[in-house]
Amino acid sequence: MKSRSGRLFRIFGHAVRALADQKGKTILMMLGTAVGIMLLTGVVGLSRGVEKRIEEVMAFMGPRSGMVFAGGGRLQSAGARAGSGSTLKLQDVETLRNKLSDRAVFSATLRREGVQVKYEGQAWETAVFAVDPDFPIVSDWAIAAGEPLDYHDEKSLARSCLIGATVARNLMIEDDPLGKKILINRIPFTVKGVLEAKGTNTMGMDMDDCVWTPLSTGMRRIFHATSIRMVRFKVREGYSIPEVREEVERILKEAHKIKEGEEIDFTIRTPDFIAKRIMEMTRTARLVGYSLAIVALLVGGIVLMNILLLSVSERVPEIGLKRAVGATANDIFLEFIMESVSVSVLGMLLGIILGFIPLLLLPRLMPMLPMAFSFKSLTYGFIFSAAVGIFFGVQPAKRASRLTPIEALR
Amino acid sequence: MIELRGVKKTYYTEGKETPVLFGIDFKIEEGDYTAIMAPSGTGKSTLLNILGTLDKPTEGKYLFRNRDLTELSDDELSRMRNKSIGFVFQLFNLLGRVSVLENVLLPLLYAETYPKEARERALRLLDMVGLGDRVHFKPNALSGGQQQRVAIARALINEPDLLLADEPTGNLDSMSSEEILQIFDEIHRKGRTIVVVTHERDVALRADKIITMKDGRVFSEERTR
Ligand SMILES: Nc1ncnc2c1ncn2[C@@H]1O[C@H](COP(=O)(O)OP(=O)(O)O)[C@@H](O)[C@H]1O
Ligand SMILES: [Mg+2]
Repeated sequence: MKSRSGRLFRIFGHAVRALADQKGKTILMMLGTAVGIMLLTGVVGLSRGVEKRIEEVMAFMGPRSGMVFAGGGRLQSAGARAGSGSTLKLQDVETLRNKLSDRAVFSATLRREGVQVKYEGQAWETAVFAVDPDFPIVSDWAIAAGEPLDYHDEKSLARSCLIGATVARNLMIEDDPLGKKILINRIPFTVKGVLEAKGTNTMGMDMDDCVWTPLSTGMRRIFHATSIRMVRFKVREGYSIPEVREEVERILKEAHKIKEGEEIDFTIRTPDFIAKRIMEMTRTARLVGYSLAIVALLVGGIVLMNILLLSVSERVPEIGLKRAVGATANDIFLEFIMESVSVSVLGMLLGIILGFIPLLLLPRLMPMLPMAFSFKSLTYGFIFSAAVGIFFGVQPAKRASRLTPIEALR
Repeated sequence: MIELRGVKKTYYTEGKETPVLFGIDFKIEEGDYTAIMAPSGTGKSTLLNILGTLDKPTEGKYLFRNRDLTELSDDELSRMRNKSIGFVFQLFNLLGRVSVLENVLLPLLYAETYPKEARERALRLLDMVGLGDRVHFKPNALSGGQQQRVAIARALINEPDLLLADEPTGNLDSMSSEEILQIFDEIHRKGRTIVVVTHERDVALRADKIITMKDGRVFSEERTR
């Protein structure tokens, strides 16, 4: 057994040697695999990037959550339009709650960045959320200390607030925050509780840099708003997200008296829907990439096969000599198969290197493009290139091994 | 060591029959230096290829140490060539893209076990054939005579029982030929069995025994000393 593997190893060494001795042919044989694997690396990177982007969206929204924005339009512009739209009213949230509370929890939210908060000498700019009492459920956000904002706070327009860990730290009240009077936009609020620390999210935002006020107080005193920008909802376990989404749409259309065929004045986003959109936007690129990769591998394989066939006929005397000094037909077969597999694996390595260059550069040039490195491309690359090497190497190797010693020596 | 019994060979190519050997019988003893002599185109190479198991007889038996080689499989014959037979061809048949040393080591690529002292053995053989200072040259940098000496070193690397040579001096000038024949003399002195095929009488006369062929049959056997 030991001697057999030693012999295989020597034959492999000789195959690699033959490739090194015929560099021109070797490079031509490598090219197709290199291009194919380069494309494959790119596409696998794109697919991995898409997956990652979707994971980020899921993590950001929560997998069972959804959002309704004021104003119609597409995903990208929804946020911008929502500001101008006053199409979502508190009444809409009440309607949704009345009709769907068995299937989902709803919560109205307003949010503003860059609001000044102060405590004694300390000042800090943060994001203020005006939230109703169901917001912690909808956003999976617990209270670390103190009490949550409740219906009483909501009804009485209480000047109570919850603060995130970052805000507590920057106002230097993290040791004993409860009951402290802070100024939000120069209006005094009492700290009723501290939010559970969430750290940095997948998009690099500090989640703990925020202050929550009751929705009613916030709308009246800070946002000076009579309508809301966004309603978040969380579908209860056991109910399907797409179905709830449809119900929300139907109920809001009815409430807004939107007739069949008219444009709707709100936008609903659920993670599965966003995932679908990202997949759709990149589907063509991925399909084209995979097809080109397969075409390149096939064309490259055929080129490899033909050059190797040429090489076999050029090396008939060599084959005869090797048979004369003791190579079996199988040894000759293995030698050529090893040449073919080695050359395509070399092509794969070149392809991976070439494929990583766009993978490293593109996300820098176009940050919107989902691209990520994946070890999958190495695994796929190895499997595909070895398969190309074996599949397209068989015919030349068979031809070489079928030569009888005297045929080859004549 | 070797016995041929009624060996016949007919080539069949494109529906055409070419009978070459019509029944050859002879024996070669262990340690003998034998020359097989016949004019060109009368089946010397054919016979030598059969002796070297590169080809099979159409009919007859080939006994090698009492084992009938005509019954062996292709793989067994390959192993036989690797272990027991060394070849020297008229056209040297070296592998042009590798060095002299690697050419000598080529048979060991296919050996069951690779001897630890393979490299030293190859260098010793190259010394013996007078090419100790050419081991890293490529074959095409050598003269014909030098190339044939590399081929002899290669044929001996696996210490074969039998050394076969097909017109080893056929493509060489007389001085190079003499060098080659002297090397054969020396190999023979060390006890190896040699069979040389030639159409030149003075080459044949270096052997102990000359088998003369005529019309695809053995015509005469004579001892030279
Ligand atoms: N593979 C082959 N197929 C058909 N005919 C062959 C083959 N090899 C040799 N011959 C023929 O057999 C005869 C003997 O050839 P060969 O053994 O090479 O003679 P020699 O070595 O004595 O010159 C020649 O006529 C040659 O043409
Ligand atoms: Mg001949």
